[in-house]
Amino acid sequence: MIEIIKNMWRRKMRTILTIFGIAIGILALVVMGSMAEKLNLLVDGGVKYYQDKVQITSGTMGMSLVPLKLDTKAEIEKIDGVGYVSPIIYTTLEKDSSAVSFGPPASITAGDMNAIKYESFKMSLASGRRLTNDDKGKIVIGYDLVKKLDAKVGEKVKIRGNKYEVVGIWDKTFTAPDTSVSMVLSDGQQVVYNDLPPIIKSSVKPSDIVSGFVAYPKKGADPNVLAIRIQKQVEGITATGPKQFQEQVVNSVKMFNSIIYGIAIISLLVGSLSIINTMTMSVSERTKEIGIKKAVGAKTSSILGEYLTEAGIIGLIGGLVGIGLGALIVNAINTAMEKNGDKLFLLTPRLALGALAFAIVLGVIAGIIPAVHATKIDIVKSLREE
Amino acid sequence: MAESILKLNNLRKVYIVGNLKTAKKAQKEIQKLHKKYERICCQEGTAYKEVEKELDHAQKLFSEEKYEESYTYLTRRGIKRGRRDKGVVVHALNGVNLDIKSGEMVAIMGPSGSGKSTLLNMLGLLDTPTTGQIFLRGKNVTSIKNSKLPNIRSTELGFVFQSFNLIPTLTAIENVMLPLKYSRTPIMERRRLAEEALDMVGLSDRMHHTPNELSGGQKQRVAIARSIVNKPAIIFGDELTGELDTKMTKEVMQLVVDLNKKGQTFIIVTHNPEVAKLCGRTITIIDGKVAK
Repeated sequence: MIEIIKNMWRRKMRTILTIFGIAIGILALVVMGSMAEKLNLLVDGGVKYYQDKVQITSGTMGMSLVPLKLDTKAEIEKIDGVGYVSPIIYTTLEKDSSAVSFGPPASITAGDMNAIKYESFKMSLASGRRLTNDDKGKIVIGYDLVKKLDAKVGEKVKIRGNKYEVVGIWDKTFTAPDTSVSMVLSDGQQVVYNDLPPIIKSSVKPSDIVSGFVAYPKKGADPNVLAIRIQKQVEGITATGPKQFQEQVVNSVKMFNSIIYGIAIISLLVGSLSIINTMTMSVSERTKEIGIKKAVGAKTSSILGEYLTEAGIIGLIGGLVGIGLGALIVNAINTAMEKNGDKLFLLTPRLALGALAFAIVLGVIAGIIPAVHATKIDIVKSLREE
Repeated sequence: MAESILKLNNLRKVYIVGNLKTAKKAQKEIQKLHKKYERICCQEGTAYKEVEKELDHAQKLFSEEKYEESYTYLTRRGIKRGRRDKGVVVHALNGVNLDIKSGEMVAIMGPSGSGKSTLLNMLGLLDTPTTGQIFLRGKNVTSIKNSKLPNIRSTELGFVFQSFNLIPTLTAIENVMLPLKYSRTPIMERRRLAEEALDMVGLSDRMHHTPNELSGGQKQRVAIARSIVNKPAIIFGDELTGELDTKMTKEVMQLVVDLNKKGQTFIIVTHNPEVAKLCGRTITIIDGKVAK
């Protein structure tokens, strides 16, 4: 091993540049992969959230900012298989939310606090307590909004011009609730009502407005079948079941993942070409040494092993440097974005270890051709070389 | 009488330079027949004698540059030399027979291009003969698979080259440990044996020096230490004093003589008559044959 490291260090600049080539590829993989990991986690959270319920909105899918009327609740409750219907309010945290956000934007969600009995997506608190339907003027905030709102349990924070008392902070979920403020339905309705144009305001009461409903199926009822049934029987709504969510969101995320991983892998493959080049140069420079080693008893497997190990070490160092640089970039961007309650990247141990293993394997594969060439060197000819 | 440690039987090495197809085809048939001969020569009966006779005749025709006849004799098929069949056949070794006894110190001399180094490469199993047999301690090593040869080289043979051939990035002791590394000697044992070998050549104070920190004589002594560390049956020296001045030549040769006195067999290719004088026997090679 010492000999291999000494050999690598003979041509410092060349080795450093090769390592740098791999490091850039791994850096791209780590940064792009972290973005994909974050997105996957959001989608996984969505999948878990949607797994046993039907989301009903006026929009095409999921949450819509166009309000529905509360009367619709009674229509939904009549449908066979529906166990419980919870009206919900969903709106952005800022009135003019023009900031570009990766994943769900910072938002306000309000609903029937009794629905927790039917909810399988269990959330825990980092501090404080949950809301009850009587907690008017009180909120529980998502983990990633603590800094943005400078929130502490027991203190008041200003949202949309009104002050609310923070009674709890959710634990980190790595999905939508991290950037969400929870409040009781009436508070949420008031927030949405305040945004409405004056003409509409005069025709509706705040207590009539909802963004949508969550329908919890009765025990044994299939939420996908129920979604189709609700869609057929209630006019002017879109009912989304878990299967539909998966089909629409998961598949498009898969495509996105393929593109970003593809870009990263292409840059890594370019880096691997530099390993092939370096190892080929090393073999041609060390022809005589290979001859000497063979003359004193080195087997083909020993020579092959030495060169593949060298290529693997280049991949390993390149991988470690790439992961290190990638982690720095990911953390720097996340820290900068944290102020807005948004995090673009998630560098998971799975991604880091996968990237490192990929760098090593790629290094070894890139070393195969030069290493095989080394094993075929003719002893007599190589010993004659000056 | 010392036992035979290395024996050569009708060793030939032929290089075909260029595109002389008839010679290449004839040589291929000769090698095929030689393999057959090697297979049956150890068996009982006299069948091998017939093959031996055929082989000798085909080789004789080949030596006389009658490649078409040699091919036709072995295959009973005709072959014509085409207009584009151009090239040269070099008989680097042309039927060498030798017998080296254990503990001998043999000098191989001869003019440049006579085949000395080719012979040494064959003996050291660094190159394979076209036909013929090499017996190392009575075992025919020409019929051994190529994959087994490194093991023989790391345990039975030692080499000292004219240009030292040390690995520049390794220290003296690391260079000496190389054959032990490839013979899978445990690391602690490797170090102990290498230290002993370096001590034997008087370089125990230079163990951690790299080759560029050593003089020519010291480099060659490291090379000798590397060659003796695995306690080989034979050490081959190819012009081992070629790059040394008179004083260093004396120093290195004194070391070789001392090792030979302890029973180490040496075969040394040299141009230097002073070196040859120190050897117990001198074999002269001329035109790929042992001169009488």
